Amino acid sequence: MRRGLISRSPVELPDAVFDARLDRMRAAMRDAKLNALVIYTNNTRPAGVSWLVGFVPYWSEALLVVPRDGAPYLVVALSFRVKTWIERVSRIGEVLHNPRVGLKAAQQIASVQKNAAVGIVDFDGLPAGIADDLREGGPNLVLSEAGPLFAGLRAKADPAEIALASKAAAIAHRALARARGGSLNAMIAAAEQQARLDGAEEIYVAAAADLARDMRFMRIEGEAASGKSFALRATVAYKGTWVRLVRAFCDLEIARKAAARFAQAVAQLPSDRGFAGFTSWLVEGCRTTQPLEPLMGSRFGAANPPSPGALVSVQGFLTIDGHAVPVGAPALLGAQGEAASLLIDPSW
Amino acid sequence: MKQKLGEERRRRLAAAMREAGVDHLVLYGNAWQGDYLRYGADFGILEGHGIALITADSAAELYLDSATDAERAEVEAPSVRVHFAPDIARAVGARLDRVANTRLAAAPRRFVPRWLANPARGFALDDATALVDKLLMLKTESEIAAVRRAAQIADEAYAEFLKAVRPGRRQYEIVADMEAHLRARGCPDNFMIIGSGGKDVLGMTPPSERRIAPGDLVTTELTPAVEGYFAQICRTLVVGKANDAQRRAFAVFVEALEAGIAAVRPGVRAADVARAENDVFRKHGLGEYTTSQWTRVRGHGMGLFADSKPHILEDVETVLEPGMTLIVHPNTYHPEAGYIVLGDAIVVTEGGAEVLCKTPRQLFEVAA
Repeated sequence: MRRGLISRSPVELPDAVFDARLDRMRAAMRDAKLNALVIYTNNTRPAGVSWLVGFVPYWSEALLVVPRDGAPYLVVALSFRVKTWIERVSRIGEVLHNPRVGLKAAQQIASVQKNAAVGIVDFDGLPAGIADDLREGGPNLVLSEAGPLFAGLRAKADPAEIALASKAAAIAHRALARARGGSLNAMIAAAEQQARLDGAEEIYVAAAADLARDMRFMRIEGEAASGKSFALRATVAYKGTWVRLVRAFCDLEIARKAAARFAQAVAQLPSDRGFAGFTSWLVEGCRTTQPLEPLMGSRFGAANPPSPGALVSVQGFLTIDGHAVPVGAPALLGAQGEAASLLIDPSW
Repeated sequence: MKQKLGEERRRRLAAAMREAGVDHLVLYGNAWQGDYLRYGADFGILEGHGIALITADSAAELYLDSATDAERAEVEAPSVRVHFAPDIARAVGARLDRVANTRLAAAPRRFVPRWLANPARGFALDDATALVDKLLMLKTESEIAAVRRAAQIADEAYAEFLKAVRPGRRQYEIVADMEAHLRARGCPDNFMIIGSGGKDVLGMTPPSERRIAPGDLVTTELTPAVEGYFAQICRTLVVGKANDAQRRAFAVFVEALEAGIAAVRPGVRAADVARAENDVFRKHGLGEYTTSQWTRVRGHGMGLFADSKPHILEDVETVLEPGMTLIVHPNTYHPEAGYIVLGDAIVVTEGGAEVLCKTPRQLFEVAA
């Protein structure tokens, strides 16, 4: 569950930003002849709903309904007692409470138009129980997949989103700078504390405890010993925007060389040419509802190459002077053919 | 220890599958509802969603749509064959096509991706949610030992919470301290909500920017996990000296918690425990505050999910059995004091309840 700061900031996310996103969404819905759009959210797949209205569920699940000609409303499984919290942390006009969110959402949509055309973001991935409830609540609704429509609209990051990602990157950098202490556990604790004090909505710290043995990151449970060289990866969410940042604790010159090669590789995105010579690499970003969805990488090719102007988080593994070293940071792809650039220098 | 626990669970699961005639079991999970997946695949999912495929001979495959989590699973769940699959529904579907002539089931079926559950597929997924629920509720000695350790960590964490709450601090700063305390002790996960203020506070939520003030009631549920098993403690403190109204109100909660725990024994229903708690409120003329307008549940199961079955409510007929781990918590609003929480983790034993939380059931006071 989310247990960091979930709050609404009219400075960082002014109403005008949400209005502009909703206006674009409604225009796309008109073109696609959709009467309503439905987006599912839980704390694993919050990115679609948070992009449109700022709501991030700390727990449980919800559906956002965006009528083409009306105000968006949220149908939540959370109890009525947290209604005021939801209204405080998001920009939503109406919150409906029902344990069967699919049933209630469909009934609401059908009450306006029984045979409304309803686009559902990631319809195939919708929980089967909610899909069944949508059918039960609106048997004449015409349901269709709206994932590609939504992905196309949010592919290019807007200035507000870039600012939030930059803030998240700064939080992650500061957190990893604070990773000090006598043990790996103490370093992870210090990093996590700093990120949360800086207002992170969430932070996951994973460790590759001994780079000479295994470069893969894992979550630490119990007491963990670190090798001579090791690495920490901070995954940070800030007001709905997620980034990853990697810090290798190794020879400084090796870390510097790795960071330089990484920046050169990232600059060539969405081309993967820069990653030649990397042991492995991964580019993640948000297309619809999953905050950091795999887009392209050494394990699976270019499944969903990022669009111009997209925000991504990139990780790579290199061997420098015989030493294994991971590196990673968020980046912004050029919107009009210019080189991609890192949001933060992954050096300490 | 962790691997041994995971193997024990999978053996129990495979035995239950064989008894029910299920050949292949699909277990769905995400970071919110990850207990079914973890039961069979011994992996605590954090990002994206995942599906474990368990066979009746106890083999496990794990499909994850997060490349980062897939890499982590390779390290953390070495006994499971891990597949990174950007579209897990279709990847699992292709796998199930090869065994479509066997009996397949899924749990929790309502969470399985719609595409996979669609009757148009060449296979059918029966609902095995109840089968897995029973295993999740009735814990082995090894599982109870993990819950017991988590309860000890919860007690220690509450002692830290008492130090962290000071006037002027923001709620999220207090939670930052608690999470750091838990990570420093190697505890990777925690469920935690918080409330602070007076009679205007109706419940607990994730932390806000609100600053702690003298006179506040500060409530929290702390729920650390050990090897995936959560144990919860609920306590309330006052910033400064508690007033008479707060003391009187808190005494009702102590009486209700004691009544609830006293009602716990094998053979009673979850409803009986809830009724024992609620009868105390009704006796004091506070019956209204036991309704869903003011409170969600009067306790719940704990295990691989922080809020698992059975829910302690007057309409839940689940019969308690030895080996169940629960929290009994008569948390609700009190009209003279505000929202108050008090709850202890317990294990149902042959003789009744073993209380796992050792923190005193008192209305704590911290310096104003």
